[in-house]
Amino acid sequence: MYRYIFKRMIFTAITLFAVFALTFFLMNVIPGGTSEMILKHTFIGLEESATQEQMVQVSARYNLNDPLYIQFIDWLKRGIFEGDLGMSFVYHKPVLDLLLLRLPATIILALSSMFIAVVGGVSLGIYAALKENKTADHLLRFLTLFGVSMPGFWVALVLILIFSVYLKMVPVAGYGSIENLVLPAFALSIHSLASIMRITRTSMLETLGQDYIKFATAKGLPVNRIISRHALKNAMLPVVTVLGFQMGAMLGGSVIIETVFAWPGIGSLLVNSIFARDLYVVQACIIVIVFLFLIVNFIVDLVYIYLDPRIRYG
Amino acid sequence: MSYLNVSSVCVDFLTENGSVKAVNDISFEMNKGETFGIIGESGSGKSVITQAILRLLPSNAVVSGKIFFESEDLLSIDNKKMRQIRGREISLIPQNPAGSLNPLLKNKLQVAEVFEVMGVNKKEGIKSVLGMLKNLLMKEPAHILENYPHELSGGMKQRLLAAMCLSYKPSLLVADEPTKGLDSFSKKGTLDLFRHMKREHGNSMLVITHDLDFALEICDRVAVMYAGQIVEIGAVTNVLKNPSHPYTKALLNALPRNGLIPLNGHTPSRINLPEGCLFYTRCNLRSDKCGSERPVTKSNKGVIVRCHLY
Amino acid sequence: MIGLEITCLQNKSSVFSLKKDGIAGKILNRKDITISILLLALLFVVAISYPLLDFSDPNTIDLTNKNLAPSAENPLGTDYLGRDILNRLAAGTTTSLSIAAGVSAISLFVGIFIGCISGYYGGIIDETFSRIIDIFLSFPGIVFALTIMGFLGSGVINLILALSIVHWAKYARLMRGQVLSIKENEYVLSAKIIGAGNFHIMRKHLIPNSVATVIVLATIDIGHVILSIAALNFLGIGLPSDIPEWGAMLSAGKEFMRTSPYQTIFPGMAITMVVIIFSIIGEGLRDILDPNDTGGEYL
Repeated sequence: MYRYIFKRMIFTAITLFAVFALTFFLMNVIPGGTSEMILKHTFIGLEESATQEQMVQVSARYNLNDPLYIQFIDWLKRGIFEGDLGMSFVYHKPVLDLLLLRLPATIILALSSMFIAVVGGVSLGIYAALKENKTADHLLRFLTLFGVSMPGFWVALVLILIFSVYLKMVPVAGYGSIENLVLPAFALSIHSLASIMRITRTSMLETLGQDYIKFATAKGLPVNRIISRHALKNAMLPVVTVLGFQMGAMLGGSVIIETVFAWPGIGSLLVNSIFARDLYVVQACIIVIVFLFLIVNFIVDLVYIYLDPRIRYG
Repeated sequence: MSYLNVSSVCVDFLTENGSVKAVNDISFEMNKGETFGIIGESGSGKSVITQAILRLLPSNAVVSGKIFFESEDLLSIDNKKMRQIRGREISLIPQNPAGSLNPLLKNKLQVAEVFEVMGVNKKEGIKSVLGMLKNLLMKEPAHILENYPHELSGGMKQRLLAAMCLSYKPSLLVADEPTKGLDSFSKKGTLDLFRHMKREHGNSMLVITHDLDFALEICDRVAVMYAGQIVEIGAVTNVLKNPSHPYTKALLNALPRNGLIPLNGHTPSRINLPEGCLFYTRCNLRSDKCGSERPVTKSNKGVIVRCHLY
Repeated sequence: MIGLEITCLQNKSSVFSLKKDGIAGKILNRKDITISILLLALLFVVAISYPLLDFSDPNTIDLTNKNLAPSAENPLGTDYLGRDILNRLAAGTTTSLSIAAGVSAISLFVGIFIGCISGYYGGIIDETFSRIIDIFLSFPGIVFALTIMGFLGSGVINLILALSIVHWAKYARLMRGQVLSIKENEYVLSAKIIGAGNFHIMRKHLIPNSVATVIVLATIDIGHVILSIAALNFLGIGLPSDIPEWGAMLSAGKEFMRTSPYQTIFPGMAITMVVIIFSIIGEGLRDILDPNDTGGEYL
């Protein structure tokens, strides 16, 4: 088992490193990339009149003339050891500060959404499985289809329309209190809730068809004992596997939801920075998002190992 | 009064291709203390009967008829009563020992939970299981209980299941294909196990098997099933040494020691059952009557047979 | 030797036969799939015919008629520039479907190719490609597409390219899995014995027998692609503003939500409906082709 965990850690580290490299090189290589931007921003308004000499000076200061891989190593060193992720061209603040400022908002939103999605999805999934082929089941499956197919931003807008504009129950946008959190969290959770509900239902149905459930019934155990002790844990295994992917989808979705609700998180920061060509910020946001995604997947792997004794002692 | 009385039981499965008649008007009686065997090929409907007795069939199954267990019709009592009978009065050792144990739970838990439900002291229950495991010649039974199912071999799983079922002290023990898929060495082990159970515990046993030699050793009476119907019932020595029904004869001929003479043809479709005798197409003693008229059960020299020959 | 070859060739999957108990029959048995296919056909007709027929230009601005509610003349109302919404939705069908088709085609091609090679050759090629696939899969889709588009700029080709880069890895991974499980089958081994070349084997045996699963995934995935297209355009990146697109319509319409919500409601419904249709067809195909498959889209 420990070997397996170790392998997963190595894999996560390698992927992370590859992501760093990929991001860095893309940023620098494509037109409009880092080097050009640095030069541009140093000479704002003066691009035409900047002399060759001045360009050379600036290039030297930012090491823009070194081969890319040296710039990369340099950038890595500064980032990891000094926490220097560059300066934002737009906000004129260190990127790290910006990240730390906006990260809590995204984490709150993501955690609340995940909570709603998991609690709602799992309970509805189990309910639908127990009521297989009855009206409730068909209704839930129909709703799931919608849940997975509706665009997140549309759900957000419709929710705003209903609950903010017409019913005036919650504020339209903003950040600071629970009221502000309700709509964005709910909007973000719909897609994952529907997916989780589906896979919980399928998994539960499959588990209930297993021989050990039949044997548990033959032993004379009561139904709720069979479900709570035998069916539930086994049915949750595939669901846990899927959670990692759902979290990734959620991080992606948060980009849009944060933008719609003007939620001050990493997602909206990313979008704004892309438009503003604030490259160091873009780089950092991507890395943070991917890092979160990989960490969550790693944790999910650990949870799975804990749940399935066949991996632990197998 | 008979102990177990299965009376005109039919089981149909509703599928998208039509209604499959898995069990077709089955009737037999078991006496208390005896070991009754049901013999037949795979797909003859034997396992379905065991599930019908314990009401473990899936929701697309339609059951008709009556199953009297100590004068109560199991098919008409309510769920709560049925649940009390399961495990305590009637215990089932399932066909698939590997799949019947929950892979995520420790063996100890799976053994102990029935005691919990029965209201018996868990510790006492586990002690009796341990004792039984020792009797079944398992080494280090305490260690076995602390492990997970996947750490046990197939034979160990089977013994664990047998010990579990016996320790609940059921009145009727049902064993579904106990020698399925086992090599001859393990088969002998299972035979010893069952002999031991019979000798030491004296439960009434209903054994489902396709292993004719096993049936000969263990059973007192047997019923032979074909395509969902019982074609012959009688004392095991009568039926298996002196078979009456052509199908039984063919089954015995197919044994390696009798020459491995195969039986040609296929079992009839259970969705569109033929009009006459179900064994018509494969019988070498058939007559015209067999093709058009279904035979009923008749007595013949102490055995009940379903065949126009008698 | 020839006998072996004939046996090999006969192993092609007969799933696609149009017999009554083959695919066609099973599809017709399920009403939801049949209706969805019919609706999809309708969409295709609209998408293809729209640019060809002479409907009034979806881009004509008519400020006198802006923000109207649905009426006989404008069945779904008008938007903030007086343009008929139904008209624009129809135009958007062409946009979404054609871009999604382009993305699917490219990602499928690349994904199947790489997956097949990776699974078949194994060894270091497999290790390398698998790592690459994993890396591509560790970027949440929208984030990746957003960044790429952010730097490439708007445009049809750019959009198709960006989304293809995001989606190919899924197909590659699935294809690789299929190839790994099939390549030990007997007909592959017998093909090798008679000296069939690697590409021949891939073309004639591996791909036909695994393509069904991949196509099912692709069908379900088109829905996700359409959602991505809409999302990117909603954020303002993707297509130039003179091309009618549902996500962009939503983005523009949201300013007027309070007074004229139709601009917001209808494009969203259109997107949802199209995605649902593809999901039903895709999952229906999966049920038909392999009832035991519990769902590869959760990869």
